[in-house]
Amino acid sequence: MANQTTETVRLMIDGISISVPKGTLVIEAARQAGVMIPHFCYHPKLKPDANCRMCLVEIERVRKLQTSCSTVATEGMAVRTATTVVNDAHKSVLEFILANHPLDCPVCDQGGRCDLQDFSHQYTATSRFAETKRIFQKEYFSPLIETQMNRCVQCLRCVRYCDEVMDVKALAPIGRGTMTEIKSFGNHPLDCEFCGGCVQICPVGAITSRLSMYEYRPWMLKRADTICTFCGDGCQITVQTKDQELIEVNSAHSGGRNNGDLCARGYFGFHAASHPDRVTHPLIRRNGTLVEATWEEALLFVAEQTNRIKQAHGPQAFGGLISGRCTNEELYLFQKFMRLTIGTNNLDSSARYGHVNGVQAMRRVQGTHRWTVTFEDIVQADVLLLVGTNITEANPITGLKVKEAVKKQEATLLTIEALQPAVGTISNITNLSKQHLCVAPSQFGAAVLGLLKAVIEGDHVDPGIRQRASDYVSALSHAVRQIAWEDLAVSTGISSDSFAQMAASVVRGRRVVVLAGQILLRSQGGYGMCLNLLDLLLLSGKLTSPGCGFAPLAEENNDQGAVEMGAVAELLPGALDLTDQDSRDRMARAWKEELPLVPGGTLIEMVDRASAGIIKSLFVVGENPVGSLPSQIRAKEALSKLDLLVCQELFLTETAALAHVVLPAASAMEKAGTFTNTEGHAQAVRPAIDPVGDSRPDWEILSAFSVFLGAPLEYGEAKEILKEIRSVIPGYGSLGPSPIAPTADPSAIDRYVTEGYRHDVAIRYTLPPRAVRQEGTVQLGLVQSLFHSGKFSTHSKGLLQIEPSAFLQMNPVDAARFALGSGDRVRLSNNRGQFITTVKVLERVPEGLAWLPDHFAQEALRLFDCVIDPDTKVPSFRTATVSVLKAT
Amino acid sequence: MPKYELILLKNMMQPGYTGSLQEYERAGGYQALRKVVGKVPPTEVTMAVMKSGLRGRGGAGFPTGVKWGFLPKDYQGPRYLCCNADESEPGTFKDRQLMERDPHQLLEGIVLACYAIGAESAYIYIRGELVLAAKILEQAIAEAQAAGYIGANILGTGITANVWVHRGAGAYICGEETALLESLEGKRGLPRFKPPFPATNGLYNKPTVVNNVETLANLPHIIGRGPEWFASIGSPPKSTGTRVFCVSGHVKRPGNYEVPMGVTFRELIYEHAGGMRSDKPLKAFIPGGASAPFLTSDHLDVKLDFESVAAAGSMLGSGGVTVMEEGTPMVWAALRLMEFFYHESCGKCSPCREGSSWLVQTMRRIVAKRGQMEDLETLVDLCKNIEGRTVCAFGEAEVAPIMSTLKYWRSEYVTLIQEAEAANLIRLEPTVARH
Repeated sequence: MANQTTETVRLMIDGISISVPKGTLVIEAARQAGVMIPHFCYHPKLKPDANCRMCLVEIERVRKLQTSCSTVATEGMAVRTATTVVNDAHKSVLEFILANHPLDCPVCDQGGRCDLQDFSHQYTATSRFAETKRIFQKEYFSPLIETQMNRCVQCLRCVRYCDEVMDVKALAPIGRGTMTEIKSFGNHPLDCEFCGGCVQICPVGAITSRLSMYEYRPWMLKRADTICTFCGDGCQITVQTKDQELIEVNSAHSGGRNNGDLCARGYFGFHAASHPDRVTHPLIRRNGTLVEATWEEALLFVAEQTNRIKQAHGPQAFGGLISGRCTNEELYLFQKFMRLTIGTNNLDSSARYGHVNGVQAMRRVQGTHRWTVTFEDIVQADVLLLVGTNITEANPITGLKVKEAVKKQEATLLTIEALQPAVGTISNITNLSKQHLCVAPSQFGAAVLGLLKAVIEGDHVDPGIRQRASDYVSALSHAVRQIAWEDLAVSTGISSDSFAQMAASVVRGRRVVVLAGQILLRSQGGYGMCLNLLDLLLLSGKLTSPGCGFAPLAEENNDQGAVEMGAVAELLPGALDLTDQDSRDRMARAWKEELPLVPGGTLIEMVDRASAGIIKSLFVVGENPVGSLPSQIRAKEALSKLDLLVCQELFLTETAALAHVVLPAASAMEKAGTFTNTEGHAQAVRPAIDPVGDSRPDWEILSAFSVFLGAPLEYGEAKEILKEIRSVIPGYGSLGPSPIAPTADPSAIDRYVTEGYRHDVAIRYTLPPRAVRQEGTVQLGLVQSLFHSGKFSTHSKGLLQIEPSAFLQMNPVDAARFALGSGDRVRLSNNRGQFITTVKVLERVPEGLAWLPDHFAQEALRLFDCVIDPDTKVPSFRTATVSVLKAT
Repeated sequence: MPKYELILLKNMMQPGYTGSLQEYERAGGYQALRKVVGKVPPTEVTMAVMKSGLRGRGGAGFPTGVKWGFLPKDYQGPRYLCCNADESEPGTFKDRQLMERDPHQLLEGIVLACYAIGAESAYIYIRGELVLAAKILEQAIAEAQAAGYIGANILGTGITANVWVHRGAGAYICGEETALLESLEGKRGLPRFKPPFPATNGLYNKPTVVNNVETLANLPHIIGRGPEWFASIGSPPKSTGTRVFCVSGHVKRPGNYEVPMGVTFRELIYEHAGGMRSDKPLKAFIPGGASAPFLTSDHLDVKLDFESVAAAGSMLGSGGVTVMEEGTPMVWAALRLMEFFYHESCGKCSPCREGSSWLVQTMRRIVAKRGQMEDLETLVDLCKNIEGRTVCAFGEAEVAPIMSTLKYWRSEYVTLIQEAEAANLIRLEPTVARH
């Protein structure tokens, strides 16, 4: 919409003439003219409520004073904000607001950054109020959020934010008049998304964080603007510290891709980095146990062992794994270290768990490894299709963009999710859907096919593509004809009419964005589904239209960076094909060294090779295959066979516990670099505190290895690595406020529609197998929880207060069927093993499914089958059929 | 025999009239509906109401036909009619009688309004305490539905008008039209800021008309007997028709009296309501519900029409006339009303929320003889700071009792404060620090 010409109006504010877009509020116009009108209830994110009456202004030819927050600027309007009348009005409103305020600034966490303080100071407000102040009794509010209602100015920003932005509606004003207080909606402690939005948006100290209560005065805090590590959304956070201690996290309004909004993980999860269990010293295994050592000893040990193994078995006896939580600089250096210093392409990152599926599909169909859209396009989309995202829990801030599109821009939301619309303690995106298809994750593929069939058979195929690629269109038409509506109905429970209706909505859209989430990407056949969704956009003529595109959502903060840095076996930096001679030559020229020729093993292949004794040594940076992969892969057994297992870690994970050397790594709070978020936007990471103990950033450790191995990759600081990255990938991560999305490459699309689509059409256009669910069983799904991120967040004291342990989420109907209630212990079992946990009954879980957040579910992994995608090598182990029995 | 022809109260004044459908029809009811619905274009109904000069009977006195005319002409989609039956203004009890004693008169008016504005749904938002009226309306709606006057396809014309009764939960503010809409939507009943007005963005953000019970009850008569007839009653051109005035307080015969607009307060109080209860002189009266500023015995010859009362410095408001005899302590009377407004301030906007609590505490102190002379200045300041700076008209309403009593009976405040100062002389002496 950027090229759309917007109408403007010209008005005068205190004698300053300013032109603003039509529809701008007077308070905003004034801000643009450099005139600050005092206010409490107004916030640019919220609909005007005009309740505090602080922003009254004089408008020429209008009898009464008007609230500038609710008055739209019109042509020729003359506004005065500094006359005696206005000033007196501001003073009087302030006097009213101060009347019942306790003036407890000395013990208020907001003191020093409080709007009420600032305006009182500005207007040298005094109060004649000498009556009895209203006092609220202190009540327990929630484990993480504290209210002090005597300080409240009843602006309702918190309540409005919770409803309008978050769509949670957990807060409500209770009582009338001066006795109005903000409480949780319902007679119970606050139970919500704990996004911290109410704390952030409160203009006074009425709602504060318990994690940092009474710990600071704002002016004591040191700020560091950095990027959150808990998901792929890439939210900007400001970490506030006092004497190397993490005090709080917040995010400035209009800051970052998140526009100041955060989720529970971002707002309350920051303590994970300062957990006492952090590995703070190098550890070397001596006589079977890990003992503390100096860096010198540890590095020397690694170098000696590496040289020994390399001499005996060659470079292919090595492998490397790195976490998508590392910075681009570290990911880049890691693959360079593996490829040059060690000499192998055996390397992989956590992008392999699912993100690779989306990236490879985009590369194959549209020739990009990034989205062709941005968050702004999501907000401005007129049709949004979400498939398997569970977006509120997996990518909460991208979810906010979707909510904004639907609630404020009136976009049509279409969802294919394993979710039931239901009112709950957290928001549920399907509540906002225009059309929702509730489908089990194992049948997402079938639903996508249903949609494709409806597009093709509903005669919605774009004439352009039909003409340009008639073979492609007829091949797909033929393929969908082989699928019967009856079979689709049996697989998905969805009728052909519903598919036709949804297809029509997609086709009608002008700006269509398809979001594919973690549940889809990590499902069996995830790659094929991504391709099919791209087919959907191609067939409906949307793929290359402005504002349209396919957006697979990254799980970890830098999964996208991992792919772009070449930290996966098959790709070089810039996501170039390792097998492509030109690309290899380019890298070799840049690195002044030849690249290893042997194709590398991916995650599971490396584990298999370790098991077979082919790989003797593994460098693991922040990854935890033993803890993350299902027992069927036998990662523990495989890694136990290694001659040398080196782990760079924050905590002694299941994998690190097997290591010969554990090196203390610095967390993202302690280092500089860049992260690339799910939209492909590289953003600066800045240290908030010094590295804990003897820990060092991963890139420094890798650099030290290379020095000890006699093939130094030396850099003075992370920035120098970024410089090198930019020499390899021109213009990489030129830091700006928003990403410039690439456009689909027409020649790649041509290649795809002429030849590229062919080899797997038959497989992709086949209904996924239907499991017959037996009596007494449910489909168990491993999912992401809103309150955790991998295992890392389970070290966060804040998040543990919201969600301390594993639990099984189940539909009330199923719960009744198994005679289970919330809090009951339940035994899940199949022929692979069993797992005992606690039940939580939730209406949003569809019948026949049960969800297990994967953050505490180590033991449950044994229940899951693992299927490896033949093309992308992505291991899928997210669903299992289990018997359910009440445990006594 | 009443001095004037009764219009709204006519049926119910007949001995034995129960308000049933049968009796209403026998009294000529539903003839207006039969005359126009499906036969006369809706715009002509609106025109007729405009011509009649009918003005809202809820308080603000806005011309009804003009209000209807604000609905967007070309809007596709639902429109709503809301009948404001949240009669909560202290001293006002006319709507209750209109609903309890002649419900079909109101229902016919509602259907006529629905027809005129093109609404297929009408909601009667009724004050929660009016349990009996709500029950009677429910029964009447069922009767009218069965007879084909309400519902889909009214009298075979293809016109639809459904009517629902929605009971409020006890907030005065829900009588404010936008708070009423919020409450009707299931939300907290807080006023919305205007613009936009309900005519364009009302119930569920759809074009909506909110009319008072008495306003709507006039419609069958306007349509039945013609706008010219209606416009000739009262004090045309600005205040036409009759009004049901609720006379309460120190009079011999408190009650509802329907008189043409333009009669004097003297006539209403001394002729219709029987004069002062103990024949003491009249000291003060509130002319139009608690939100209207007090008037004095000097204003007895003011005419009961919108303009005259406004010129006298008050407002005709809801038609609740509360009369006070000589000897009534006016500061106490103002405090009593202030207590009401403090209790009912919804708390949405700062001046009203904080101001009402401040005012009521100051007033309590003065009445309890703990006041100071500075308090009078503070009271005036606070009132001025509330007035005109609130979201809704509540701000103007809550300062009316204090401002008007201060205007006419300031000496009573001064006396109370002087008594307080006399009693507290020692305490008021400044303390001097001694070494």
